[in-house]
Amino acid sequence: VTDGAPADPADPDPQGEAEWHHMHPLTPVVRSWRVLVVMLVFIAQGWGQEAMQGGGSAIPDVGRNLDVGLLGGGAVVFLLLVAIGAGYSVLSWRMTRYRITQDALELHTGVLFRQQRRARLDRLQAVDVVQPFVARIAGLSQLTLEVAGGAGSSVALSYLSEERAVSLRGHLLARAAGVSYDTEEAPQAPERPVLEVPFPRLAGSLALSGPAISATLLLLGLLVSVAALRSAAPLAALVPTSIGVASVLWTRFNGSFHFRVAASPDGLRLRHGLLEQRAQTVPPGRVQAVRLAQPLLWRRLDWWSVRVNVAGYGGTSENQESTESVLLPVGTRDEAVGLLALVLPDLGVSPPEHPRAVVDAGLQGFGERAGFVTSPASARWLDPWAWRRTGFRVTDQALLLRRGRFRRHLDVVPHARTQSCALAQGPLQRRLGLVTFALHSTPGPVRPVLPHLAGDVGARLLDEQADRARRARSAAGPERWMEHLAAGGPGPDLQESADLEEPFDAGGPAQDVSRP
Amino acid sequence: LCDPDRVSAAEPFDPAGVRWTRVSPRLAGARRVVLAVTTLPIVVALAVAAALLSWPLLMLPALVPLAILLWGWIVIGRQVRAWGYAEREDDLLVRRGVLWRAIVVVPYGRMQYVDVQAGPLDRAFGIARLQLHTASAATDAQIPGLPPQEAARLRDRLASRGQAQLAGL
Repeated sequence: VTDGAPADPADPDPQGEAEWHHMHPLTPVVRSWRVLVVMLVFIAQGWGQEAMQGGGSAIPDVGRNLDVGLLGGGAVVFLLLVAIGAGYSVLSWRMTRYRITQDALELHTGVLFRQQRRARLDRLQAVDVVQPFVARIAGLSQLTLEVAGGAGSSVALSYLSEERAVSLRGHLLARAAGVSYDTEEAPQAPERPVLEVPFPRLAGSLALSGPAISATLLLLGLLVSVAALRSAAPLAALVPTSIGVASVLWTRFNGSFHFRVAASPDGLRLRHGLLEQRAQTVPPGRVQAVRLAQPLLWRRLDWWSVRVNVAGYGGTSENQESTESVLLPVGTRDEAVGLLALVLPDLGVSPPEHPRAVVDAGLQGFGERAGFVTSPASARWLDPWAWRRTGFRVTDQALLLRRGRFRRHLDVVPHARTQSCALAQGPLQRRLGLVTFALHSTPGPVRPVLPHLAGDVGARLLDEQADRARRARSAAGPERWMEHLAAGGPGPDLQESADLEEPFDAGGPAQDVSRP
Repeated sequence: LCDPDRVSAAEPFDPAGVRWTRVSPRLAGARRVVLAVTTLPIVVALAVAAALLSWPLLMLPALVPLAILLWGWIVIGRQVRAWGYAEREDDLLVRRGVLWRAIVVVPYGRMQYVDVQAGPLDRAFGIARLQLHTASAATDAQIPGLPPQEAARLRDRLASRGQAQLAGL
């Protein structure tokens, strides 16, 4: 800066902004906490042994000296290893640095094998602030920037102090949104709490989930066989199952504990976690597909879960529990539909029809109501239970796919987010004149597939969906979501639409004027 | 939904107004070589054993690989004739399968990258395999059995069209 070269106004990376930063100095300690714990145990053990040997006078002197000599040699090697490890950690910390330029986040890491990663901010898909348990004790956070580059494409800054992580998140989101500001600190987007999952409901949803129920049934069966055989042998089968069930339930409980959703102009903020706390931010337009699902046992309570595909989070299979893709672990129908309205504010249903009616028909409807097209009657041979439920509805903005008689699903994919589509047909389907329609979204828990549509309906859907997707894409908003707003266009104002009582309020009749 | 004449009701896998380009029949040759290499040695071994032991009944089990070979030979021919692709204005259509049929529509603007691969056998038969990738892992759009120059042409064309229509995710 002092060499007198005139500052180039066209330079996208003026010196003042592109300052290199290091991670928090406590990072090596937090990163190697397992090693540290092992070390402490080792040392404590050594002391304990020494104390015991000191107390035990029956041990001959020679043997004791030999023992101590061995111990001393071990200690030297041990200390050497510790010193090397510590030196490497500190060096690694020294070599890790990041900076934020006008349009990218750069991260340099590695001592022997160096890596320089540069993530474009307008391609940012989500920003998470994660606090693993140990980091939380030390008051540190990890900032993860998700970009859509497949597995391992995220940029993780670990660890930063909590304030630094939050201010950096605001900074990154503001840059990604295309907001310009004069202040030193990025303006933090105002937040508005939308919902919170109460503890009893979370516990109830876990008790009514598949693993818990099957574990209970297994336990009952075992007790019956114990009574019948008059032997405790069958109980041995309990150990592996209970460990499996407990770990699944614990993962869900730990991930969904104290789940809160807030809306801000930066997108949805999700906060959750018991030991490891996560604060996720999903900016507008980054949600690729939404699934509202209801297992059979939740039906009486009308509870729903909401999962989404976000490009950076992807890569998990449908069965695998991924806490990042959960928008709502369990909620009432109003909450679930409200969240759907938050991530997809415009469902593309025109005024005479109310969007809520369409969504409700998708959630629990059968047959042709609300414009849904279902499987033809010939599909009952292949799917006797759900053929009248399997159906789709096309709106101006999205494709709604509903499925499931027992476990209900509703998948919503905006036309602009369709990647590709396919039809498939097996020999039986061919005889019955049926086809299976699949819509390809980015990797994630939502995989929209609709089996057993009439052949001509499926073919038309395939043909038109490609066309609709193309038109929707060309009309889609910019990657930098606030630029749209600055230009005076209708922006994705999540703050205004964050109303769970009356979602999709654009199309519906005004019901409640008392709300602010 | 729309104009019913646009798509013929009888054939969802043959949309009206689409001119399909077939893949090279040399693909059948390459696949038949693989089939023959896996089945014929068993037949030959059994025949030799039968001749050495002068026990003709030993030839009976050889009927199984022979039947597989014959059946596979015919199926491969039909499968290769069923593979097809069509370049439309805004998207690429890929069709495949005889018994289990499938058709995929990939918009050019959604293409992330294009792979062209050719193994030693493929090269000996003068064919290559082209695969399209979108941001979705589920997109299964591959065209085997393209002549190399056609594969290269298609690759460049797809890349340039993708460039022209590329949107974000």
